Amino acid sequence: MSSPEPIPPPNDRRSSRASSNASLAVPTLDNTREPVELLVVGGPPSTPSPLALRASNSPSSNRRKSRIAKLPPDVHLLEYLSACDSNLICLICHSPFDKPVQLACEHFFCRECLDHAWDAQHDAQKTCPTCRGRVDTTREPLPVPKIIATMLDELVVKCPNTKSGCDWIEQRVNVHDHVLLYCEYTLVDCPDFDCHLYITQKDFHKGCLHYTEHQRTTCPNRSTACPHCSVELLRLELNAHVKDICPKVIVPCPGTLVGCTVAVERADLAGHAKGCSMAIMAPYFRDQQARIERSEARLEPLSRKVGILEDGLSKITNMLYPPNANDSSFPVTNPLDPNSDAFTTAPLVPTPDFRLPPASFPPVPPSHDTSQTPLTNPTPPPFDSQIHHLLTLHGSLRDEVSRIANALTDYEGRTNMMIINENQRVKDEMLHTNAAINGMRMQLHWLVSATLQQRTGSTNSTGNSTSRAGGSTDSNASGTQGTNSNLGSRSAGASATLHLPLRRLSDSTRQNTKL
Amino acid sequence: MFASKRLSKELSKLHDKLPPGITLIKADDFTEWLMDIRVIDSNPLYQDEVYRLKFVFSQTYPIEAPEVVFVKDEDHPIPWHPHVYSNGIICLDLLDRQGWSPVHNVESVCVSLQSMLTSNTKQERPPGDEHFVKHNKQRPKDINFVFHDNQV
Ligand SMILES: [Zn+2]
Ligand SMILES: [Zn+2]
Ligand SMILES: [Zn+2]
Ligand SMILES: [Zn+2]
Ligand SMILES: [Zn+2]
Ligand SMILES: [Zn+2]
Repeated sequence: MSSPEPIPPPNDRRSSRASSNASLAVPTLDNTREPVELLVVGGPPSTPSPLALRASNSPSSNRRKSRIAKLPPDVHLLEYLSACDSNLICLICHSPFDKPVQLACEHFFCRECLDHAWDAQHDAQKTCPTCRGRVDTTREPLPVPKIIATMLDELVVKCPNTKSGCDWIEQRVNVHDHVLLYCEYTLVDCPDFDCHLYITQKDFHKGCLHYTEHQRTTCPNRSTACPHCSVELLRLELNAHVKDICPKVIVPCPGTLVGCTVAVERADLAGHAKGCSMAIMAPYFRDQQARIERSEARLEPLSRKVGILEDGLSKITNMLYPPNANDSSFPVTNPLDPNSDAFTTAPLVPTPDFRLPPASFPPVPPSHDTSQTPLTNPTPPPFDSQIHHLLTLHGSLRDEVSRIANALTDYEGRTNMMIINENQRVKDEMLHTNAAINGMRMQLHWLVSATLQQRTGSTNSTGNSTSRAGGSTDSNASGTQGTNSNLGSRSAGASATLHLPLRRLSDSTRQNTKL
Repeated sequence: MFASKRLSKELSKLHDKLPPGITLIKADDFTEWLMDIRVIDSNPLYQDEVYRLKFVFSQTYPIEAPEVVFVKDEDHPIPWHPHVYSNGIICLDLLDRQGWSPVHNVESVCVSLQSMLTSNTKQERPPGDEHFVKHNKQRPKDINFVFHDNQV
């Protein structure tokens, strides 16, 4: 929107309209034949493929597609914060230009307005609506100067949904994005499949409000009488009324929880509850019940945790002291374990049950106890305490880590060496290649010089005497060039080499030193 | 849609400010408006008289010209003019299919008519007025006027 669109040639107008329709997905009144054209038009890569089009025409996806389709803001209906400069007003629609174009006579119009005006005119003779000047439709309309577009973009407008409550006010260039992407008040299709009304984006997640609204205000059948108390009320609110309010509905005493079997009309319930001890007790019971449930819920993860820890511990024990290392001389009592009494009474039957510091835990569910009876796991715990055991474990882990670190350094060193070696090899190769290239350059140089000498020798034979007289010092230089560059073309004579540009001399010597 | 958008803009501008001698009488919808015009300069032909114009807009306004006629009632006569028939139909190129342009608007039409009256000095009707008024059944914009006189 910020940059003026490239203006299609006039005879292409229909196709451009069709493609813009596609991108906006706006249902138009005259789109009965547009979709067919879409297939033919082709054009930008964003044009949906025929397959996608067919898919989008199936009823289910059609519904989904229309749900995200929002109407783009109509620039002609925007409310401008301040009066716009009259030079920026389109004379056809009387609002600030929307996608303006200009004619050769320097009259400006909205693209759409001009198309409208021209629709009524003969194809061959379009005229400017303002000055009636003939228009050359092969060349016009022309794009407008950039400054016009910028001035239009910077006009400050209100959100088109201002009446619904949006207080967005910003430059016009942003209004399209605001309405289509950000504005909460933009209308979208109601989320309810059967409802064909619109709803603001903000309320979309609330589901269909139209039906409720209909039930509340417009439905001719909206009111009904309560079957229990025959009060007139909205049908919509009947359920809530019966459940919570209706004084005639039979409800049980709140003491049901504790065993009261009385059930009376809600109006009389207060009287009963005053005398019913169970109803009085009920809140306390309910409190207690809730507390117990909470505690049980907390207990569950704790006992699972204990199980996991025990499992891990016994595994570690097994790993460090395999079952066959049966040595009963190890002390088996845990100083922290209040159950250690049981162990001392039967020292010959060592227990594998290593409890973690147990004081804060309730007895472990019986399943753990049975799975770890002394018979199934006769290994004696061969260490003083769990702390000792953990320390050993830690030490071995540390060893392992340092071993790995060493291995890493070693490996790094080797890799470095390999890279250096490889580099050396590549360098050597490059040197060889350089040498070869220089050799070829020399040969090429020789060939060029030889050709030049031949040519100058034949054409300049008449001017030889004069140049020789004027350039005695130069002839020395050319002589050195002859020997340096090893051309072996002395037969051509010093007079001929004179005509080579001196620059070549320095060039060739440089090459010589390089080799 | 196009017409109502444009007319609502025009209307708000007319409510805002009007040229002297032009009054907005009725614009309840976007199909028919009534405007009053008065000749400001002291032209003895139109002294102390107010003429009522009826604008009828089509859906395609402003692409298509509005239908503009003078209406006659006890307070508002039909002005004398060699291009205004006695039934109120106006023969003005501006209001013809060829002469109309979408850049014209209600206000500019009123001003044009006002100045057309101001510059007139002849107290007469177009030639064949009686016959035309008796037999014409066409709507004003379908009549093929011959613009016989371009000076007014
Ligand atoms: Zn326009
Ligand atoms: Zn022009
Ligand atoms: Zn908004
Ligand atoms: Zn709904
Ligand atoms: Zn009730
Ligand atoms: Zn009770």
